Amino acid sequence: MAGPTTRSGTTAPTRRTLLKAATASVIAAPLPLRFARAAEGEVVYATWGGSWADAMRKAWFEPFTQQTGIKVRTIDGPDYGKIRAMVKASNTEWDVAEVNPDFQWIGPREGLVEKLDFSVIPTDQLIKGENLLTDYSLPEAFWSRVIAYNTKKFPGDNHPHNFAEFWDTAKFPGKRVIYSKANGGALEAALLADGVAADKLYPLDVDRALKKLDKIKDNVLWYETNAQAVQFMQDEQGVLGLVADGRAKFIQDKGAPVAIEYNQSQLTWTSYVVIKGAPNKANAMKLLAFMTSLDGQKAIGMAYTYGLVTPKAYDMLPPGRAEQLSNGPQQQGKTVLMNEKWWGDNLEKTQEKLDAWRLT
Amino acid sequence: MGVSGAALGPRGHEPVSARIDPDRRRLTRVGLLGLPALLFVAIFLLYPLALLIETSFHAKTGAWSLEQYQRIATTPVYGLVLWKTAWVAGLVTLIDFAVGYPFAVALTRARGWWRLVLLAAVLMPFWTNLLVRTYGWIVVLHPSGLLNTLLLRLGLISEPIELVQNTPGVLIGMTQIMLPYMVLPIAAQIEKMDLRLLQAARSLGASAPRTFWHVYFPLTLPGVFAGALVTLVLSLGFFVIPALLGGRRDVLIAQLIDFNLTKVLNWELAAALGTILLVVTMGLFLAAQRWFRLDSLWTEAR
Repeated sequence: MAGPTTRSGTTAPTRRTLLKAATASVIAAPLPLRFARAAEGEVVYATWGGSWADAMRKAWFEPFTQQTGIKVRTIDGPDYGKIRAMVKASNTEWDVAEVNPDFQWIGPREGLVEKLDFSVIPTDQLIKGENLLTDYSLPEAFWSRVIAYNTKKFPGDNHPHNFAEFWDTAKFPGKRVIYSKANGGALEAALLADGVAADKLYPLDVDRALKKLDKIKDNVLWYETNAQAVQFMQDEQGVLGLVADGRAKFIQDKGAPVAIEYNQSQLTWTSYVVIKGAPNKANAMKLLAFMTSLDGQKAIGMAYTYGLVTPKAYDMLPPGRAEQLSNGPQQQGKTVLMNEKWWGDNLEKTQEKLDAWRLT
Repeated sequence: MGVSGAALGPRGHEPVSARIDPDRRRLTRVGLLGLPALLFVAIFLLYPLALLIETSFHAKTGAWSLEQYQRIATTPVYGLVLWKTAWVAGLVTLIDFAVGYPFAVALTRARGWWRLVLLAAVLMPFWTNLLVRTYGWIVVLHPSGLLNTLLLRLGLISEPIELVQNTPGVLIGMTQIMLPYMVLPIAAQIEKMDLRLLQAARSLGASAPRTFWHVYFPLTLPGVFAGALVTLVLSLGFFVIPALLGGRRDVLIAQLIDFNLTKVLNWELAAALGTILLVVTMGLFLAAQRWFRLDSLWTEAR
């Protein structure tokens, strides 16, 4: 919208530029209203919602508003398509979005995100690790995909302890519940089952992984949504699963006979990005700093079971709490970190291969 | 309508063009009445469709290109998915015809309460939320679900049969929701039928099956074709049902479009897949119009 006015200085105003300026001023008319709102202080936060959003409200948004006077408004569904649509239409309505880590690379490539202001957001306490922090993104929380198993079918220690055993349909008969998107861990699991070392996984040998998947192809229930994974494990259609740890715990809480094996758990994370043209960019940076501070991390560690992004905050939790969280002490030394940069670059081609494999 | 004065001249003196004027007036009036609808269609359908098609002819860089179509033609997955989609849609249409035709006949024969009950039965799926209905199917169909439990108790099967998380599951879910689109046009066609034709056939000595196949069935064909076309076309675009009720072999075109739109942001490829779907649909519609005289459904037989 600023285009015509910045250009008009270089040439004498023609009918067209005048028209453009007029149009711009008409379109810009609601702007003072928007500025008024911004001055009052607001951040629009796009979230996956549900119980996670409730926890964030309690641990982060309400204390943040008390401290700064800046209100946080949440919107459900940080869909990449919506982000692209609003940026393309120069009509950005969200400030912060929580996204999967592949968006750390998809976002900048498509020009959909702002650079973060690290003069406002301290990063010295943040967990160190490749790809966790970029110019455009900040890690929000850790979670992992774990082996979940039915304790009625596989009682005591008689359950798969790794993906090689997960693949053993003779010893552990029954359906395996696996996510249908290529970056849902199936290929990493297949390669680990096939004997590839955890630090040699990437770049993924997709063809080798698909060959390994052939071995269990009639024993997989593919899930498209987490709710479906919960359903499969809960009604015991699936006896084994590669599912999000939070969902596995949720199934346990519902009283279903399900337990978690943390060995070879696939560790990944979610990220914050600030959307290009965010109306409350400065407030957004302040909120990001608040959420990733030690106090913010401790608070969310009490309110939810995602993994914290500042290792020190685990020590600030009351005894026993840290073990409840993703990437807590119970999981140390047992995780395989997903290479989300590889996925940001290769998801499209790999999904094509996985879908073709499914259909043949 | 300002030209209507010209049409009021004395009989016999009008030129040929003036004689067709009543028709033209009717057209103008119809045009005016249809104007809001036309505008609506132009703004909310034609314009986005034009954008869609235009997008499909761009490379990721924004330049004009046939890249997306080349990729679809040369990467195996797209052919496989398109074939699978057509196959599922075709099968849904066939099953709905097999189930829906007798049902439509029953519906038109039924009177009073029965008619209401049958109509409610076929429209019921429309009154339930899509997700609730789909998860409902899982509850009914899964290995220890209602249906398997019932069949096991009755001793009809000795082991649970797999009815969901596979193609049969998708077919069951889609057939149910598409059934009204098949039943209602056929029933409407039957209602329009001149029953004296059947009496005439019988009185001329035709047996009941012969009367059915040579008189009754052909008269219902426009309804059958209309129902089949709508069922087929709508079945090509299903997303939620195959995603939730399908298994390994159930990847349909709508799932690929969604993936490209929302997961990897390749809108150009998604647009190309959408355009292909659109062209197939238009092709089916034109073929139906040409060969099966679809328009006879809403015009009186001449």
